[in-house]
Amino acid sequence: MKIQNLGRGLRFAAMVLPLTWFARPAFGQAQRTATAQAFGVSVSTALVNQKTPSAAAPAEGGMVQTDAADVSITGLVSARDAYALASGWSDDGYSDAVSSASLGQVNILNGLITANGVLALASTTAAGSDADGSTLANLYVNGVAIAAPAANTRVDLPGVGYVVLNEQIATGSGITINMIHVYLQQTGLLGTKPAGEIVVGSATSSVN
Amino acid sequence: MNTLRSLAALAAIPAVVLLASSCAQRDNAVAPNLGTPSFHFNVFTCTGFKMTGGGRIDFPPGTADKNPPASHEYETFGAHVIAEPNGQTDELGHCEGAKGSLEWVDHRREFEINGRPLNLHSVDVTWAELATDTDCEEGGVHWGGTLVIKNTGQQSRFEVFDCDNGEPGAGHDGFGIRLLDYPYEVLCPDPALPPAEPSCTLSGGNRQFHPTH
Repeated sequence: MKIQNLGRGLRFAAMVLPLTWFARPAFGQAQRTATAQAFGVSVSTALVNQKTPSAAAPAEGGMVQTDAADVSITGLVSARDAYALASGWSDDGYSDAVSSASLGQVNILNGLITANGVLALASTTAAGSDADGSTLANLYVNGVAIAAPAANTRVDLPGVGYVVLNEQIATGSGITINMIHVYLQQTGLLGTKPAGEIVVGSATSSVN
Repeated sequence: MNTLRSLAALAAIPAVVLLASSCAQRDNAVAPNLGTPSFHFNVFTCTGFKMTGGGRIDFPPGTADKNPPASHEYETFGAHVIAEPNGQTDELGHCEGAKGSLEWVDHRREFEINGRPLNLHSVDVTWAELATDTDCEEGGVHWGGTLVIKNTGQQSRFEVFDCDNGEPGAGHDGFGIRLLDYPYEVLCPDPALPPAEPSCTLSGGNRQFHPTH
């Protein structure tokens, strides 16, 4: 009896397994998914949660651009001429994702950080990712000019927290660029704890 | 179907001066020398394809070297075109049957209109063709249609020269645009900069050619 069952099992496997092999994509033709997002300003605190303008590429492939002539989140961030663009196309080996966020006349925390222009630019293909083209124009942090900061440059902001400039975060399949990322902190009797974040100029792209 | 023609037929620009300063004032922003053997993007074929992506151009000077950030001498864009030739050509010989989208922002101060950067947005993409005489490694395409100047609401025909020259896109790929009804163009027809001519080499981003749509 057991031998008969084993025989049936082997016959079943012989019939079904080849079907499952054929059902899989051929080697080198795995389906790839491209994603892209961008935004101009994002503020996340206990009292404020706002992101504008923002764009995300449609899942079926395509491009989206949004813009705002003026961005103002009282007491925290202001900027002019903000554009967010996201383009993503899933097409196997030809998949690509590009996103950008550009802003002018940026002012963060009442002049603590200013910049004439911010551009975050993320690009990903099956060959890899890069942040080429991303720039900060006439950047001042706490009154000190910082020209072309290297990736992931940290500057402390006494009494406020710290800022990471040209923040580049590699993901398994892409990259996120935050040109100005302020980490707000509160210091009390129990030490320092996070109090929120401000991001200006963010672009993300990936191809899985 | 191959169509050999002069781009001069496309360059008829009405004498309406919209922009504060014309690219014609710049040595490297003139229209290509038409019909010369060394000039690329001159021979086209009607076939299906797709070109996608976006990026940044530093114009002038139109090289992969980024201009000083404070100069704001750059443009950003996103664009895709899907060519689905229907066997017809328009009055200028372009391959009809296409769809797509273009977003273009020129961040140069001197090109601001109504206090904002020049912003172009496609209304309709109507034609697209594959260039067969370029050095673009993956594919060079020529396409266009109608766009709106968002600053003013005025419309214009446009054409794009689009080049995928491998990876990464920065320093390799190219993109150039010309309005046919207003004196505005960002083209880099410099023979010293093949193969992206007359498109301007990207300083960021990527153009991706898809041989089938």
